[in-house]
Amino acid sequence: MQPIARLLCTSILVATSPFAWASDADTEARQQWHEGIATGYQSLTTETSELAESARDYCVESAEDSRARLEAAWLDAFLAWQRVRFVDFGPVENNNLSWQFQFWPDPKNLIARKAAYLIGNDEAITPQVVSQSGVAVQGFPMMEYLLFDQQLNAGDNALPSARTCELLTNVAGHVKSNSGELMAGWLAFGPHYLETAQYFDTTIRAGMATLEILEERRLAQPMGLRGNGKRNPYITDAWRSGNTLMTIEATVDGLRQFFLPGLATLLEAKSEPDLAERIRKQFSEVQQNFPGAHLPMATALNEEDQFRVLQSLYVDISQLTTLVNDQAAVALGVVRGFNSSDGD
Amino acid sequence: MRSAFRPAPLALTVAAVLTAGCANTPWSADNSEPATKASVVNHYADLAHANYEDALITARALDEATDRLIANPTEANLAAAKEAWLAARVPYQQTEVFRFGNAIVDDWEGQLNAWPLDEGLIDYVKADGYQHELGNSGATANIIASNSINVGGETLNVASLSPELLADLNEVGGSEANVATGYHAVEFLLWGQDLHGFESGAGERPVTDYARGADCTNGNCERRGEYLDAVTDLLVSDLEWMVAQWAPSASDNYRAQLTAAEANEGVQKMLFGMGSLSLGELAGERMKVALEANSYEDEHDCFSDNTHNSHYYNGQGIQNVYTGTYRRVDGSLVTGPSLSDLVQQSNPELDARLNNQLDASMEALALMKARAESSENPMAFDTMIAPGNAEGTRIVNDAIMALVAQTGSIEQAARDIGIEALSPDDAGHSF
Repeated sequence: MQPIARLLCTSILVATSPFAWASDADTEARQQWHEGIATGYQSLTTETSELAESARDYCVESAEDSRARLEAAWLDAFLAWQRVRFVDFGPVENNNLSWQFQFWPDPKNLIARKAAYLIGNDEAITPQVVSQSGVAVQGFPMMEYLLFDQQLNAGDNALPSARTCELLTNVAGHVKSNSGELMAGWLAFGPHYLETAQYFDTTIRAGMATLEILEERRLAQPMGLRGNGKRNPYITDAWRSGNTLMTIEATVDGLRQFFLPGLATLLEAKSEPDLAERIRKQFSEVQQNFPGAHLPMATALNEEDQFRVLQSLYVDISQLTTLVNDQAAVALGVVRGFNSSDGD
Repeated sequence: MRSAFRPAPLALTVAAVLTAGCANTPWSADNSEPATKASVVNHYADLAHANYEDALITARALDEATDRLIANPTEANLAAAKEAWLAARVPYQQTEVFRFGNAIVDDWEGQLNAWPLDEGLIDYVKADGYQHELGNSGATANIIASNSINVGGETLNVASLSPELLADLNEVGGSEANVATGYHAVEFLLWGQDLHGFESGAGERPVTDYARGADCTNGNCERRGEYLDAVTDLLVSDLEWMVAQWAPSASDNYRAQLTAAEANEGVQKMLFGMGSLSLGELAGERMKVALEANSYEDEHDCFSDNTHNSHYYNGQGIQNVYTGTYRRVDGSLVTGPSLSDLVQQSNPELDARLNNQLDASMEALALMKARAESSENPMAFDTMIAPGNAEGTRIVNDAIMALVAQTGSIEQAARDIGIEALSPDDAGHSF
């Protein structure tokens, strides 16, 4: 009955059927995917470098405008991550990088406890300490906690206090370094990705799993459409900074930019251009109907007229999920396997 | 960690030993009737029935042991109640493989095995050692100390602690962490909070928490006894209900429905249960989350430090379903036509590989169990997941890798015997 199932990055052996019908399309699709994801990883590298720099600047000379720059840099970098979050194979599996970037959800507020422990003891907070402190410390949610948590910000340890700054700058440095490692790893992984047929299924399944998690865990569950019916903003991404809907929008946008082109190539080669077109349209539909994306999830859940906007977003995303996970997957012969969401 | 999720090479070569002569020798080896999907599903129901019967037998023993503790709160009776709880976990954890796929089990099990729990709902907790679920207004309600509690603006009368009341209080206020019932509630009432963090040591509830009069520690001893009495009674009646659902020769229970349906549906439920427990639940939620976040709050049996056994018997349940065998608590062996027999008919190489992988998982989990129960310098699961514990990390990771590897073969086995859609939700689609 544990309400959470986080992304378990696995690569299960898949017996891939031969795709003689579309071997050219298959190669082209994987090239599109590889290039798209490289673009996404490059943005992540750039944005996390800026974030690390903003954190250093703010902690050296804290002023209102450097705080605003830092908060904006955190959001830009986190959204860059959301755009490539669907990639659950390749170098992001190494050292559990995916969980290092984002430990989610955190129902027991482990992040607050780890922060209190690190800030509260006497040991210097170094890059080594961060690398040994587990995934709850190492990524975007920890930085969000340090920047936006109300309780922390009301106390003596609020930024820019020395210990909290030490933690913030080291976590930002860790994320920057992981992004560089991920980018380099992805480029080195290219030839293997392009010549291994297994990644055809793997990539499509990654998109499918992301849509399933978007629909079920990032929308239906917090909206109270599942289980006990309770609305709960605390299980969403970025609830502390009120940016939940922007993160969802960025994930959809990442799929549209980096996943859809390869998928459409395959569908068109399989004489399914109509389906490819319907999926394209549905992506636009979702993006057009986004409720401004600046509304905090807690507000959207508490105010009935805003909740209705959220419901229509949910319906749009469900329709997109059906098109990709049922119709496109069936057309391409991709079978859903076990994934992390199969636990509870 | 670098290769933790590249399942194939290491885990596959580990298990190169043949397993002839083990309990998982296919049943059909000495039976002339070849297994069919229908006979396999029927025997699956037999396994479930035997397994739930054992869960009931051991839960009754737990109920009696806690009754003795309440009537006569001595150290010996507390120790005996704890032993009975540990024994009850052995069959129950093996039944968890029946959860996924069989909605009747999944909808029911929250009242028996929900975790992690915000134990402050039930009884006193130490304020600075207690982290509860964000937004849970019932997390510090303390039913034992109160005649009425207020959760999320609603006032509830809890003056009389009956099994029915506790069942109603489970997930009160809409939070899944408000666990008022089941094994982990009993565990908390016997052991108390584990305040040792990553250090060795479990919960240390004094037996005087059940003492009468002036000897009573931490207050409300009589209410605590009433709670323990009601919650163990509820556990027994819940298990009685589930045993009846799997009983043979009934026309209106779940078993009748399952065995009357198309055999492919039953086989799909079997494989879905194995794969979901193996990957998403056991390898993912119960081990990887706890390890990667160094989070003892995500430990399964966190009060008693019995987590290694819960994991071990989860793994055993997966192997039971594939091999069609179950070792009952009285030592007898239940065997019959199995998934293994079916896969062997069409793909003997895959069957051998999957059997080897299941053995390899059990070896990895047995190592975790042995290390936790070692007479010299034992290392419990909550110590294994401590930051910087290289040996513990290796033990837990090896178990995760073995489970990931076997899940890949479970998917292949499903395709091999013609089950393409592993998610019951997709059963209506034309895969």
